Amino acid sequence: MTAPLSRLALLTAAVALATSPGPASAQSYSGSKVNLTFLHGFTGPDRPVMEGLIKKYNDTHPNVQVRGQAQPWGTTWQQLPALVASGKAPDVVVINEDQITGFVARGAVSPLAPAELKAAGINKSNFFGPLFATADYKDQAYGVPISSVAYVMFYNKDLMKKAGLDPSKPPKTREEFLKAAQACTVDKSGKKAGEAGFDPKQLDTWGVSLYNNWVGARAAYAAILQNGGQMVDKNQNAAFNSPQAVSAVQFLVDLVKQGVARPNSTEEAELAAFSQGKVCMFPSGQWYLDRFEGQKMNFGVTFLPRVGGTAKDAAWGGSSHLTLPKQPSGYDANKRKAALDFVAWMSLPAQNLTWTSTGSLPTQAAVAKNSQFEKAAISGIFDRLNSVYATSGYPWVGQVMGPFDQAWEAAYLGKKTVPQALNDGVKESNKQIEQARKNFQ
Amino acid sequence: MTITQAPARTTTAPAPTPRRRVPLEPYLYLLPHALLFFVFTVYPIGYGLYISLHRWDLLNPVKAFVGSEFYRNLFTPGTPQADFFWKTLWNTTFFTIVSVPLLLAAALGLALLLFRPIFGRTFFRAVFFMPGILTVSVMGILWRWMFDNQIGLVNAAREVLVNAPPIPWLSTEGLAWVPIVIGTVWWTLGFNMTLYLAALGNVPLSLYEAASLDGATPWQQFRFITVPMLAPVTLFVFVTTALSSFQLFGQSLVITGGGPSRSTQSVIQYITEEGFTNAQYSSAAAMGFAFGLIMLIFTAGQFGLMARDVKGD
Repeated sequence: MTAPLSRLALLTAAVALATSPGPASAQSYSGSKVNLTFLHGFTGPDRPVMEGLIKKYNDTHPNVQVRGQAQPWGTTWQQLPALVASGKAPDVVVINEDQITGFVARGAVSPLAPAELKAAGINKSNFFGPLFATADYKDQAYGVPISSVAYVMFYNKDLMKKAGLDPSKPPKTREEFLKAAQACTVDKSGKKAGEAGFDPKQLDTWGVSLYNNWVGARAAYAAILQNGGQMVDKNQNAAFNSPQAVSAVQFLVDLVKQGVARPNSTEEAELAAFSQGKVCMFPSGQWYLDRFEGQKMNFGVTFLPRVGGTAKDAAWGGSSHLTLPKQPSGYDANKRKAALDFVAWMSLPAQNLTWTSTGSLPTQAAVAKNSQFEKAAISGIFDRLNSVYATSGYPWVGQVMGPFDQAWEAAYLGKKTVPQALNDGVKESNKQIEQARKNFQ
Repeated sequence: MTITQAPARTTTAPAPTPRRRVPLEPYLYLLPHALLFFVFTVYPIGYGLYISLHRWDLLNPVKAFVGSEFYRNLFTPGTPQADFFWKTLWNTTFFTIVSVPLLLAAALGLALLLFRPIFGRTFFRAVFFMPGILTVSVMGILWRWMFDNQIGLVNAAREVLVNAPPIPWLSTEGLAWVPIVIGTVWWTLGFNMTLYLAALGNVPLSLYEAASLDGATPWQQFRFITVPMLAPVTLFVFVTTALSSFQLFGQSLVITGGGPSRSTQSVIQYITEEGFTNAQYSSAAAMGFAFGLIMLIFTAGQFGLMARDVKGD
């Protein structure tokens, strides 16, 4: 089957030939002309940025024409199995961190062999380790990261100053964090946390935001990892009730008892409180950055302190990975080569830098070093980008994180003790995993 | 065309042969719809049944036949399905039991108020109908905000008016239904109200005149004229409202996310979770059929009621 040359392709090829300064040095695909289809879920304000990058690639690569298609992520998750099963999968598909292992384990994605990666010029060690490993499964790579977000801790500099803290030194350890949280907590009669007569039910300002939904649960997720715990054990069964996990989550829940965090709160309520300058530290997704910047708040962004324990730094992250879906046996080898070339080009520092304008974090240290980030608030977490961990690596992320989020809610709201909530969650999760496992036999 | 031909045929051409032919024409008329019906209803139902009886995943070349395993899960104590399917089915039923009478009574009350020639009648009719044009996400976010545990308008009003401490509406079992039910009533009331308004216009005024001459009080007029005369439309409103209440999905998803501890999760939300979060398509299909069967029995009962009403029993 030969790929028909469209008029547009000829035109862009001509333009590219006329404008590009000789053969591009990064170009590794030199076979015959191919057309590639590229499915992604960047349908928001990030869409024109992605389309601009695709155009740039097409303009500089006359013998590869990539046709991008944007559709909501959820639609892709529902359609991808049917597309792969019928041999009509796009040549390149972007898959997110919570879906990728499931699709890999079900055989929808083809592995990227070390030789292939090398030939395409993709060097795994250029990327942040855990980020690249998000698309690994059983020691094989299945995707290359192009976009990444993280759970961060916003802090109110004015409020911290008022509490006698140094806003240029946000807390890093549990002790520093606790000290800051207590210093920020004042009840309506002016009494500080720990003082005689302090009423935690009548808070005027408080230390840290905890809340009941899945975003709130990501603080507990990070705390468990920080304490050396894991979501699943080596057999991929749920294990978020380990002693490390219990102790880490207990610390967070106890913050409510100490009065430095509000009970029964919601993400919206804490977001409003942080915007109004009532809470010092607001752990949440980096996606609120624009909002606080738009409000002209005097705030900073830092990596989540090691509240759970001292084993390692950790925060939750989400990411998007370029993957090559499984294709039928007669698939054009040139297409695969070209697709790898496209993946390699798309994940280069120059393209990643362009992509960070959409609110994504850098995927690699080379980009994080760029001077344009020096004054950006988000650079407050750049020293620990190597410690952002996505929920992946096991094919039943839904079955683990669903019960985990419910366990966090029950523990935070005080409906169950921490060990009880986590044990119940693990029990439910493992029942679901046992059923899911049958699909992989 | 057929109307003019039909009598001509019977009068001029008394069938010469007694052989009865199967008429093709009616089936040709049925064909366009039948095609759509088979493609979009019969085939998906058959395929869904197939999925529910196999361990089905498009990506898995082996789709093992498992018989009734996924149906039996619903009745095997200890499985997640036995726990959550019935729990969420009860949640949905509870929502229906609470919201349907409210939706009927409030719609009738509003219709009675707005049927009278009061000032600004059309304006108020439009105002009460308007929430219905919102999407469920807009409506859901609005009521989630109103009942927020900390910053909600309801808690703020309680604090200002009666100096009461905030109630964690969204995260307390039981109370979490309040924003969902109130929000739904506010959202869908207008449609039922419009039906009642139309029906009120069909009640002959002479009945009220005769009743008032006989000395009937307004309450007696309402009780013995309005209510019986509206009975058919009440039944219709009851059936359609109950069916749509059983379809509860968006309101609880947006307002509470189904929480706390699945106490407001609707059965459809749970089936969606099983299918698309847990990738247990066959189990979700089986639960879909189980729920569908329950709905079918329920609907049959309601149709029985309606048929009896039409016959005037």
